[in-house]
Amino acid sequence: MLHTKIVDYKKDKILTSNAEKFIKDSMFGASIYFLGTVRSINDNKKVIGITYDSHDKMVIKSFEEIYNEADQKLDIKDKAVFIEHAKGHLKLGEISIIIAVACKHRGQAYVLSRYIIEEIKKRSPIWKKEHYENKESEWLKGNPIANEKV
Amino acid sequence: MKIKLELFGASRDFSDKDHLELNIKDKASIDDLRNEIIKYIDKNFQGNEDFIKVVKSSAFCSENNEIISDNYKITKNQNIGIIPPIGGG
Repeated sequence: MLHTKIVDYKKDKILTSNAEKFIKDSMFGASIYFLGTVRSINDNKKVIGITYDSHDKMVIKSFEEIYNEADQKLDIKDKAVFIEHAKGHLKLGEISIIIAVACKHRGQAYVLSRYIIEEIKKRSPIWKKEHYENKESEWLKGNPIANEKV
Repeated sequence: MKIKLELFGASRDFSDKDHLELNIKDKASIDDLRNEIIKYIDKNFQGNEDFIKVVKSSAFCSENNEIISDNYKITKNQNIGIIPPIGGG
């Protein structure tokens, strides 16, 4: 069971309550909520906000691929996964990503949650532009996308 | 032939629009496209080194939302996306 969405912060926000409703099921004994939030310091610079950009279709496709791989690589068949990533301008403390997972056992939930965030970092085309106290802003360098080429 | 290059991440600084329209030769490769973008930067941004670094470190994606190799041949008028190094989360 999978839910994915790019949340445009001009119109909407990421809410943990939506994730809770989606993953809650009596067949699961373990739930983990991972939240990424905008923090105030990066590389010794005072950050006041971040603008997120994304290639929405490729991001959603990557979320689906990562979820499907979990079946084969991690052998976790029964699971609920809720992934939302922000797009647009976020202030300090706002949620940029939520990965909520529910599995039968805690070991599975920890492994699955960590797997998803690490793969998103490598494969989902999302970019950050940091805004600083001195009114400057900068796109973060990032890493080359790790997807297979056709 | 004309192609529409959709801009993402750091490449959005290349234009006020969300895309560039570029003329490239028939059956151009992604390498050829990369060179055309660098020519555009030379012309419009006096060869801005940071912008050229972005182009050289970027991947590209097809209309089918797949990452394409540098040898991929662009055979018809199509949209290509430039994918600078990523970093979500």
